Amino acid sequence: MQPLPRLGVGLAYQAPLAPLIEAAGDELDYVEIVPDILWTDLGRRAEPRHIDDTAGRAALEQASCGRPLVAHGIGLSIGSAGDFDLAHVDQIERWRRRLGFDWHSDHLAFHLAEHGGELMNVGITLPLPRDRESIDLLVPRIREVQQRVPVPFLLENNVYYFDIPACEMDEATFLNTLCRESGCGLVLDLHNVYTNARNHGFDAADLLAEIELEHVGEIHVAGGMELDGFYLDAHSDTIADPVWALLEWTLPRCPNIGGVTFELFGSWFDGVGSERLTRDLRRLRRVWTQATRRARLRREPSAETV
Amino acid sequence: MTAQAFQTALARLIVEPEFRDAVRAGGSAALPGELTPREAWRLATIAGDRGLDMNRTLHKGFRLGKLRALLPLTCAALTPARLAREVAQFWRANPPASFSFLPEALEFCAFLERRGLRSVYLAEVLAFERATLELERARVGAPPPQSVRFRHDPVSLLGALAEGRRPRSVRARPCLLLGSKDADAPTRWTLVDAVSR
Repeated sequence: MQPLPRLGVGLAYQAPLAPLIEAAGDELDYVEIVPDILWTDLGRRAEPRHIDDTAGRAALEQASCGRPLVAHGIGLSIGSAGDFDLAHVDQIERWRRRLGFDWHSDHLAFHLAEHGGELMNVGITLPLPRDRESIDLLVPRIREVQQRVPVPFLLENNVYYFDIPACEMDEATFLNTLCRESGCGLVLDLHNVYTNARNHGFDAADLLAEIELEHVGEIHVAGGMELDGFYLDAHSDTIADPVWALLEWTLPRCPNIGGVTFELFGSWFDGVGSERLTRDLRRLRRVWTQATRRARLRREPSAETV
Repeated sequence: MTAQAFQTALARLIVEPEFRDAVRAGGSAALPGELTPREAWRLATIAGDRGLDMNRTLHKGFRLGKLRALLPLTCAALTPARLAREVAQFWRANPPASFSFLPEALEFCAFLERRGLRSVYLAEVLAFERATLELERARVGAPPPQSVRFRHDPVSLLGALAEGRRPRSVRARPCLLLGSKDADAPTRWTLVDAVSR
């Protein structure tokens, strides 16, 4: 993985969160944005295909208050077995040049599939078979992205409510193999890990113990909710308690981490309230500071013992 | 190529309940023939997984959310049961094509117009929201001005829906709402009363 700058604590931008971001002061080091909201994609056959959202860009720049930006896309569908949309990758690069993302990421999943000669967009991230065939599909695409967008590229471990049966690899082996062979980093979404563990009955700590944490460039944390017997990665609340525990174990063990990002959907902002969210941002800051200190101690034991 | 067929079938299991039910009932036999035996077995297994239904719930929530966000007054003008029926028919005829909210909302407007639903206020509300979307849709250059013909007082009608009230006995007021928008400025609406002769 290419080295990332060590930014600290970030918040995923949603327009309703702008007042929280503006008021956060030193509690917040960077803002993560979904780059896809900065343009309208009129479709692959349209000319011009992409129309910039200048008003959205202005609102984002005002809200971020000069903080560094990182990008977390939703539109790449890097796991689609059909064609790979290089025009979308080029659009990411155009916006990286404008806004100066320190790194960018997307989801290790697919949401686009061809049906009847047209592209169907399911609108949710669907799991890939954890097979050699998937690795062979992904690695050249990741390299293409790395070539076209010259900042570190990360992929996020997926949340899944059904699993693909009889995969050739377990999740940790799949993630480790992909990162090793492609050189991409990992957005380790601890809320996804927790959600999957809870819904599929495994121990999240066991999975984390098997992941090679040197590949982790960013960590995502969030809260969720229950529905119809499932726990959902709904980004609907403050950070879930078990996710704090996973974060406190994982973060000091990630030597190449660039930041920890808190995700909350804007529609839940009023219900959750800025006071509770600010409390979480402060706690994230403490966890980040402690983890950084412990990691430094591990690297330079004499510096702190003198 | 079979990986593509696998993903298409997996997406259809979520988007098309009839297809999902056929695979649940018939197993691999209900799936396209170009799949490998392992892919067909995986899909038949997934079809019976409760997690697939959760994905369908999330998928429907995503699609419905787009309509409710961009057509709040039209959704409010339809009763919840009628909205559910119309949306289900719309989805059956229009597979999801884009993340973007606006194209889907405009398609739903066109669908409702074709349906010619008998409702006192729906046509006016729908025309107004469709015109609003036309003014706001991303395009090169300024959008063409929009004109919406009302038979009922638009202030009372749209105001009631915006406040979450069902409009009742809205007074007749034949008029036009003229909408225009310059670059990044907000949309401007002007009300012009019809001159009675």
